[in-house]
Amino acid sequence: MIGLMRAESLKIRSTRTTLGLLAGMTALVVLVVVLTGVFAKSSDLIGTSNQLSLLSYGSFAIVFAGLAGVLLVTSEYRYGTIRPTLLFNPSRARVLIAKLVASFLAGIIFSVVAEGAGLIAGLLILTARGLPLTLSGGDIGLLIGGTIAGTALWAALGVGLGSLIRNQVGALIVLLSWIFVVEPLVFAFVPSVGRWFPGQAVNALTGLASAHLLAPAAAAAVLVLWASSLAVAGNALMARTDVS
Amino acid sequence: MAGIVVVESLTKRFGRVVAVDDLSFSLEAGTITGFLGPNGAGKTTTLRMLLGLARPTHGRALVFGKPYARLRRPPLLVGAVLEATGFHPGRSGRDHLRMLGRSIGIPDARADEVLRLVELDGAAKRLVKGYSLGMRQRLGLASALLGDPELLVLDEPTNGLDPEGVRWLRDFLRATAQGGKTVLISSHGLAEVAQTVNRVLIINHGRLVVESTLEELTSSPDGSVCTRSTQPQRLLHALRAERLEVTEASDGALAVQGATPERIGAIACAAGIPLSELVGQASSLEGAFLRLTSEVAS
Ligand SMILES: Nc1ncnc2c1ncn2[C@@H]1O[C@H](COP(=O)(O)OP(=O)(O)OP(=O)(O)O)[C@@H](O)[C@H]1O
Ligand SMILES: [Mg+2]
Repeated sequence: MIGLMRAESLKIRSTRTTLGLLAGMTALVVLVVVLTGVFAKSSDLIGTSNQLSLLSYGSFAIVFAGLAGVLLVTSEYRYGTIRPTLLFNPSRARVLIAKLVASFLAGIIFSVVAEGAGLIAGLLILTARGLPLTLSGGDIGLLIGGTIAGTALWAALGVGLGSLIRNQVGALIVLLSWIFVVEPLVFAFVPSVGRWFPGQAVNALTGLASAHLLAPAAAAAVLVLWASSLAVAGNALMARTDVS
Repeated sequence: MAGIVVVESLTKRFGRVVAVDDLSFSLEAGTITGFLGPNGAGKTTTLRMLLGLARPTHGRALVFGKPYARLRRPPLLVGAVLEATGFHPGRSGRDHLRMLGRSIGIPDARADEVLRLVELDGAAKRLVKGYSLGMRQRLGLASALLGDPELLVLDEPTNGLDPEGVRWLRDFLRATAQGGKTVLISSHGLAEVAQTVNRVLIINHGRLVVESTLEELTSSPDGSVCTRSTQPQRLLHALRAERLEVTEASDGALAVQGATPERIGAIACAAGIPLSELVGQASSLEGAFLRLTSEVAS
């Protein structure tokens, strides 16, 4: 099993896709933090919740980690590497578990890079504008911890989604439209439902203040439940589909 | 040891298509078996079931006495390559092998060893998207050899290989079998593998048509003559006009029953049809193959 996880982690590292996702993610996070930090009025950059939102753009990492997770499964089907993968490791459940673990670990790296870049950029801008940091150490701790946990779970969630929808384009469309369309709309209009969704759970996990969000611990549980349900469903599907 | 591979009443249906139909055979150690049949005969489907990638509708396939999925670290016993490529274009050949090897604890150094074995070490670090078809075949073969298996299962491995590559593969497989290992190699034509294999299994429409040694197959006077022309349709009409029984292969070759090569040559000459090939009697492997695979069809 350890070997299988090492193999999956080599799969993530050995193509340029991952590097591209990391680079794109970092650029995006820094860009958004800089634009916000430079153009916002000073009054909008003081106060706990304003500063928290400036420093939490690192949670964009969930999108990129989710993409990486989806790709780890769907590119096996797209390029047919699923054949040698299963010839070497006929247990589909074990292959899926190895992918979940490897992508979870990759998710941690994604979040550390994104949150690190976002924090550094944000703090530099606050310092440059002479604005005092009003967040407590606890706030920042929750922000970092929540982003890391949330992103790692989103990477696993991507693996689950990819094992359910093995068509690469289809899975990517579902993932992106879920994050950028479905969740924001549902949360805006029916927050009592939307707060149970995995993206809002990450917001809750990072300590973003909103009356409608779940408590961080509950959000973590909800996210684990999403990731594991998708994986269990994907596993059931993979177990009974032929590989051609 | 008997029965390294045992296939029993293996059947696979895809909706209304019966791709493999009640197929049974077994392979013994040290043999090189050609698994032959025309396009769509069910070869790949059979191999997929043998290798645990597809589930039989009925029957079973065992390797080393067990279903493939029950083997512990299967690549140490069975090395397999299926027809379609299975490489990520953006990964190097070496990383492809390392990734597979690592998944079952084969050291990275073995990847370099098999790359040398298939003479791909020069391109090891290049991305697979820059590989030619023949190089991909070699990489596939390398992945099958990683675990130094007892049984090799190769689906159309000569596809895309140049003549030198085909000769190399033939020598390699013969040496492999000499060392007591077993090889199952599929192909859509007998000619491609005739110099490699010592046994043949011919299937058509998912059913076993012939199971024999190569000598039996080629020594049985099958009475048919294989011929080709640049104008196959005209030749077909000319021969049928002489009341000869002719079967046509998808690649344009014609198998003619009940006439000597001399007579066929004379008919073609009289009709002014150029012949590009005319092979008679025992040497006509292609004729035997055509006859055997068209019997069930008609
Ligand atoms: N996944 C599938 N879904 C539906 N039909 C299939 C599927 N796979 C194979 N078939 C059908 O099963 C039959 C056997 O196909 P198979 O690929 O096993 O043939 P083959 O002997 O390998 O042919 P070739 O020499 O062309 O590779 C064909 O009629 C094919 O159309
Ligand atoms: Mg085939």
